[in-house]
Amino acid sequence: MDKQLDLLQGTLDMLILKAVSLGPLHGYGILLRIQQISKDRLEIQQGSLYPALYRLEHQGWIASEWGESENNRRAKYYRLTAAGKRRLLAEAENWNRMADVIAGILGTKPEEV
Amino acid sequence: MTLWSRIRSWARTTLRRSRMESEMDAELRFHIETRAEDLMRGGVSLEEAMRRARIEFGGVERVKEESREARSVHVFDELIQDLRYGARVFRKSPGFTAVAVLTLALGMGANTAIFSVVNAVLLSPLPYSNPDRLVLVKEVLPNASPDPFNVSGPDIVEIKKLNHVFEDVGGFRVWTYELSGKSEPQRVTADRISSNLFDVLGLQPLAGRVFSPQEEQFGHQVVILSYGLWQRQFGGRQDILGQTVNLDRKPYAIVGVMPRSFVFPLPGMLQGVAADVWVPLGLSKEELADFGDNFSYTVVGRLRPGIQQGQVNADLQLVAQGVLDIYKQWARDANMPLGDFRLGMVSMPLRDEVTGPLKPMLLMLLGAVGFVLLIACVNVANLLMMRSLGRQKEMAVRLAMGAGRFRLLRQFLVEGMLLAFLGGGLGLALAVWFKDALVARMPANIPQFHAIELDWIVLVFSFLLVTLAGLAFSALPALWASRTDFGPSLQESGRGNSQGPDHRRVRATFVIVEVALSVMLLVGAGLLVRSFQRVLSTNPGFRSEHVLTASIDLPPDEYSQDERVASFYKQLMDKLRQTPGIAAAGGSTDLPLLGGWTHAFTVEGYQAPPGPELSLCNHSVIYGDYLQTMGIPLLRGRYFTELDGPKSTHVLIVSESLAKKYWLGQDPLGKRLKWGPPESTDPWLTVVGVVGDVKQGLLETATDAHTYEPYVQLGAPLSLRVAVRGLGDAGALAADIRVATWSLDRQLALGSIRTMDQVISRSTEGRRFVLSLVGSFGALALLLAGVGIYAVLAYSVTRRTHELGVRMALGARRGDVFGVVLGQGLRVSMIGIVIGVVGALGLTRFLQSLLYEVQPTDPPTFLVVLLLLVSVSVAASYLPARRAMRVDPMVALRYE
Repeated sequence: MDKQLDLLQGTLDMLILKAVSLGPLHGYGILLRIQQISKDRLEIQQGSLYPALYRLEHQGWIASEWGESENNRRAKYYRLTAAGKRRLLAEAENWNRMADVIAGILGTKPEEV
Repeated sequence: MTLWSRIRSWARTTLRRSRMESEMDAELRFHIETRAEDLMRGGVSLEEAMRRARIEFGGVERVKEESREARSVHVFDELIQDLRYGARVFRKSPGFTAVAVLTLALGMGANTAIFSVVNAVLLSPLPYSNPDRLVLVKEVLPNASPDPFNVSGPDIVEIKKLNHVFEDVGGFRVWTYELSGKSEPQRVTADRISSNLFDVLGLQPLAGRVFSPQEEQFGHQVVILSYGLWQRQFGGRQDILGQTVNLDRKPYAIVGVMPRSFVFPLPGMLQGVAADVWVPLGLSKEELADFGDNFSYTVVGRLRPGIQQGQVNADLQLVAQGVLDIYKQWARDANMPLGDFRLGMVSMPLRDEVTGPLKPMLLMLLGAVGFVLLIACVNVANLLMMRSLGRQKEMAVRLAMGAGRFRLLRQFLVEGMLLAFLGGGLGLALAVWFKDALVARMPANIPQFHAIELDWIVLVFSFLLVTLAGLAFSALPALWASRTDFGPSLQESGRGNSQGPDHRRVRATFVIVEVALSVMLLVGAGLLVRSFQRVLSTNPGFRSEHVLTASIDLPPDEYSQDERVASFYKQLMDKLRQTPGIAAAGGSTDLPLLGGWTHAFTVEGYQAPPGPELSLCNHSVIYGDYLQTMGIPLLRGRYFTELDGPKSTHVLIVSESLAKKYWLGQDPLGKRLKWGPPESTDPWLTVVGVVGDVKQGLLETATDAHTYEPYVQLGAPLSLRVAVRGLGDAGALAADIRVATWSLDRQLALGSIRTMDQVISRSTEGRRFVLSLVGSFGALALLLAGVGIYAVLAYSVTRRTHELGVRMALGARRGDVFGVVLGQGLRVSMIGIVIGVVGALGLTRFLQSLLYEVQPTDPPTFLVVLLLLVSVSVAASYLPARRAMRVDPMVALRYE
């Protein structure tokens, strides 16, 4: 249970970083963008977004500032920092390597052992 | 992530917490409302859209909490919250808070004050440089006693020459001088010191210089002043060096002044009275020839680095051998066979000598005061525990609202700590006051080489103690709160009896522990009280009332002839006797209770049993009617008279115990003894009287054999303790002694003027000091235990009002109810008493060295303590029991 949570948390962080790497977004916008680029295949608990955002900001990977939203309201926008960019690259590479390895393992046929 | 961004984030969130909160609110609101707008675009009503948006979002408060956590400020944040909450809780129950804080403050203050003494005396280094390498050297005379003696003067040089373990060796002898000059003559305490002594101690004078090796030889009249005397006598004059002072009416040039912090000698060294002046050792020709006699010099050695105590003692055995060879040579030259005379030497760390004897007493005080704090902590834990019951509902609500058990546990800890630090703070204020009171009453045998202060070590100790205490008394209620199932308390109407057997048992245990600790403390105090009574009721062997004494020391140069000395004292005695108001007057070389010199003697025809071969006794040379003045009873024979002269048969008066030991069953009158070993050539002395035994040392030490000899048979001693017996207030006789003395010699200084009553009370001041402390600790413990029993029962009665009402409605009589509650209190305290008695039986052994003529298991003491605690338990249970008895069943039942 704990492990799953960890994995999920790490994944959410990476998705957020990816989302804001395409341009500054407010929290709700991040949610929409993840759903859009994942073609709604990912279900994200809306509330869990904010602790993750604060954590990422606290770690210096994203920065925030208040701005005007598309519906003319004050909203907090997040953008990727230089450190965040490096982090995203590292995480993405990590993820791909891991995915390769897992895929390799799962794709193993009996005669290959 | 950079450190900088982390710090910035933390700073931002911490410093602008309220802004952060409102921003977070705004952000989350924006999310939910924008989501709702999107949903409304799908044709949903505003209300429905908002509802769905909220549900999709999840618990806002939890998100906020997690977000705060993500910023890692929450720990600090929540702590502040907990503290604020705790403070509010305390403000709401001022009675509880006052009792708890005051209890803790008393315990904490007493502990801090006692520890400040322990710190200054036992833990601080001696005020010399590298004090760990300083040792005292002593000589052992196996023929006389297994206990080491101080060193014979001429041996100092030999020790220095023959040893291989010391960097340097210095010695000194305690002396007194008459200091005269412009102001009234006074006696000052002096040390005759070897020139290198201050180097051995590693200290420099504040001004001027130390003595040169040449000055150590006999006849150099130079002096170093203590800071105190310099200030007192010379007003701290800057041009003091090169001035002269008169010591024993001879001019001494002042060559140095020691720093203020320099205290030497310390208690524990021979006659450890801090000196006023230091003069060169200057051994006279007679003193240098005085081999193997007069062991009155204290020798201090500084070990070479890396030398162990074992090596020192091994080397000292060789040194002793060398010194013995010198004795033998000298004995051959003087044609006096040494016989089987043996000599050994030992060393002991200076530290042990100075503070060693105080260790048991100080550690016992620390232990006793620790008990008080423990009891205080148990009391507060008990109070907290009871209060936690009243907060079950609050706990249940907080749990239901999503607080973690850990958070609840921490709330208890934070509250406990808050209480501990409030108590500690107040305790520190009390400690300042306690400490001053303590120092003011401190007996002289506790060295104060460091001012007793609440320095940083004491503060750290106090802080640790507070923390520990806080943890200790909040841990149990906290654990209980974190384990209990609060579910039922939410469902209950209000104040149901849901305290549970567990909780009740814990509180009963608290009372048991408290009572047990009190019993142990009180038994200890009781044993000390009994010892003190025994000491006070010890017969000192003399009658102290109406007796005043003063010391006279005649300056040797002016009184160089025996006849002059003898005539001075004879005239003095005559004058005193003729003074109206004085019933009797006399003098002696030493006074009861103040110690004296032991002399070796040989009884005619007595075969010594194997063991230490020399017979030793205290010996006083007396003038006038000393024995009558002191009220020392004559048991057989006669006192000395005018007829006992230098030409008549030499006579002696012996003490009862000496007579019993050597002439048991025989008539001691007419028996003879002489000074020195059997081969000595001293004349025989004939016993003409037997007097009662007198305590020469402390009251609680064994009585030594004692002899008295009239001055006329010997050279008249220069120093005499004059004693006069008056008819009324002894203190008023001081003026008479002064007048009589000054009519004979206007320059003479009188020293140590005191009544024998004062001497007795001074000899018991150490005991009185310890007793007053342990006694107050015991009283405090008793009070706290009483409060503890009362609190538990009172609370229990309140909780059981309903039950008691039912009982009474069902026909229980008021007396029964009274009995039930009283019985509950007594049962619990009886268990505590039993445990306490068992504990005390185990612990009082450690008190042994502080007891006198009382067994550590003294039944009367245990019995009294037992009765005392039973009565306190009854008293503490009485009020709650009475309240229980007065419960009106109708009211109690309706109340529910």
